[in-house]
Amino acid sequence: MDKCRKNIVVLEPSKIVYEGLFASISQTESEYAFFHIHALSELKELTYIKDVSVVLINPVLVQNKESEFIRIKKQYDYIHWVGIIYCFFDHATLKLFDATFQITDDTTVIIRKINKICNNKSLESLHDERLSKRETVVLKWLSKGLSNKEIADKLNISIYTINTHRRNIMEKTGIRSMAGLTVYAVSKGIISLD
Amino acid sequence: MYKTQKSYINRDKKMIDLINENYSLLLCLQHFHIDFSVGNMTVKQMCEDYHMNLNVFIVIANLYNGFFPSSHDIDQIDDIHSIISYLKSNHSFFLDDKYPELKYYLEKIKKNQNNKDFFLIEQFFYDYYEEVLEHFQYEDDIAFPYFCSLLDDQPSSQQNVFSAREYQNHHTDIETKLTDLKNLLLKHIRIESDLNTKRKFLNTLFGLEFDLKIHSVIEEKILVPLIEKIEQQKNG
Repeated sequence: MDKCRKNIVVLEPSKIVYEGLFASISQTESEYAFFHIHALSELKELTYIKDVSVVLINPVLVQNKESEFIRIKKQYDYIHWVGIIYCFFDHATLKLFDATFQITDDTTVIIRKINKICNNKSLESLHDERLSKRETVVLKWLSKGLSNKEIADKLNISIYTINTHRRNIMEKTGIRSMAGLTVYAVSKGIISLD
Repeated sequence: MYKTQKSYINRDKKMIDLINENYSLLLCLQHFHIDFSVGNMTVKQMCEDYHMNLNVFIVIANLYNGFFPSSHDIDQIDDIHSIISYLKSNHSFFLDDKYPELKYYLEKIKKNQNNKDFFLIEQFFYDYYEEVLEHFQYEDDIAFPYFCSLLDDQPSSQQNVFSAREYQNHHTDIETKLTDLKNLLLKHIRIESDLNTKRKFLNTLFGLEFDLKIHSVIEEKILVPLIEKIEQQKNG
């Protein structure tokens, strides 16, 4: 699927509001693909086929369902949640979102907020792309076929830390299979084939 | 302004407009053995012409346009055989079309190649192919016959062997490795060859990734739940 574009999900019952957001943002920004859903439960189905970056959400949909919303936020911790505000909401509700905008805001203000949220994440990953010394060592042993437990014993650290290193290695390289990581390790000279 | 989202397919849409909007639907038609010369037919008329189950077509074609079926859409499906037939056609697409294509480009890149990293990629690709082959074999020999025996209400010797979890693990591995292959080439390893051949190789990988993704969604989110429902009904 299209990895360069960010997918924005609009969770908003009003079709007019959705169409308005879609039209005004698409006019100036080409980096986003839009999806319209009507309930939180539809998000799960969408994430099977799309990587969702941002959800623009009408706060009415989470009112009185705060605990369910918090659970969903935890489940999709990579998603940014932005509240679409067109009436008064109490502070506690607004605090649930990573950002908010007023429906009366100028389009450029709304776009700037969304861009800021999306770029923040990509800048972070750009800075972090090189493997740290420790991660390189963990990758070396993983490529040689050692289990998490064996590596933890060898380096005298917990399995939990090994798992974190492992996750970081996958995030940074974009490679998730062991076979793929081995190819990466050989090509970067971390291990040799001999 | 331009449109960033594809249309939701329904029975009254004209097939020609849908193809013009998203030509990946040609592949969907091919998997259903429907000819591309669709004239002025609506989705409904085309399905009638080809004795194709309308609900199944709409649900699967919408996946090509990026729409996931609701549980109501899935419940409406009353023809599991045509889903299995679609998936079988998907297998031959990979084995007879995509695999030879990828192999051809790899062989072309291999000529005059002395970069050791290329051979790592080549090995990775062939190992990957073996894995896909094994999965397809599992489907052809175990999963599909089991589904068919359930649908036709006939006893099957495979009943205890099929496992939905194993099925899902296969898919995850296959998709992960394909993405890894793409990322190795795009992010980490530079192979010396002409851009044209490399682009064609990558293009084919992207196309295959798209098709395999739809393949897994159909199996895991549509077919397996439908089969499980039948199993539950049978077991009372």
